[in-house]
Amino acid sequence: MAAALTSQLHALVNNMFATGLLDDQFQQLQMLQDFSAPDFVSEVVTLFCDDGERIIGELARELDKPNVDFDRVDSFAHQLKGSSASVGAQKVKNTCIQFREFCQQRSRDGCLKTLDLVRTEFYDLRNKFQAMLQLEQQIQACYPKH
Amino acid sequence: MTSSVAAAAPSPAPALSPALSPKVVAPPPQKAADRKVVAAAADEVPNEMHVLAVDDSSVDRAVIAKILRSSKYRVTTVESATRALELLCLGLVPNVNMIITDYWMPGMTGYELLKRVKESSKLKEIPVVIMSSENVPNRISRCLEEGAEDFLLKPVRPSDVSRLCSRIR
Repeated sequence: MAAALTSQLHALVNNMFATGLLDDQFQQLQMLQDFSAPDFVSEVVTLFCDDGERIIGELARELDKPNVDFDRVDSFAHQLKGSSASVGAQKVKNTCIQFREFCQQRSRDGCLKTLDLVRTEFYDLRNKFQAMLQLEQQIQACYPKH
Repeated sequence: MTSSVAAAAPSPAPALSPALSPKVVAPPPQKAADRKVVAAAADEVPNEMHVLAVDDSSVDRAVIAKILRSSKYRVTTVESATRALELLCLGLVPNVNMIITDYWMPGMTGYELLKRVKESSKLKEIPVVIMSSENVPNRISRCLEEGAEDFLLKPVRPSDVSRLCSRIR
């Protein structure tokens, strides 16, 4: 049972790397996890997911205003870019970079299109992260704790 | 710590670190998230190096704290430069051996924090390291001129920090 779940987990994570969803920074985080902080990766991933959801909400709110404050939009995109980079969320990070370019250009259209893209990518990543964490928990449940 | 899991665990695929293999945990886990500042810590070890990490991003705080703790530092995290100064000036974070701060934060920036620290007779000896996700040469040289110990590009990695800390120790 544990072996099958572990294969599934490996396949999922390997796929996330192979498709460019995750980059080397995520491996750095995996390597930091140790017996003194066995939940480190799941904690950081959870913080990222919560933060990302909040920022996407703010971006939508800002872009909905009749007079868009592009500096504010840019600041939110910068925040999401930062946390994506820190967690190794490569695809989302790159989309945030695009987003910031549209902010520089003061293009509401460009920003809205990119917001759609970042939202889709973020939720895709979040789903996969949740699947990953669930699999980990199921695997750990196979082994009795002392 | 006994690990009855070791023999049973399948060997991880190349891209996956052992972190995602099942583990039996004996000691109580340490949270990667912020630790609250306690004015008088009962278990305080006087010789341990203490770093104050300042960042408005919860994700970045968790990452930098873990990297530092993995290098055996005691870490206190705060989410703003203003709060950092408050704690430092009120003596609520005694024996800080290093401050590591994000550059761009709402309210007071890391650069402003650096200046205040270097202007303070009480705090100016504390090395200050700036982190930034943006590689802006002007910014880097301004920080170094203002007395920053080093400037790290984000995302920060363990190798960046160990290089740093070997100089400050």
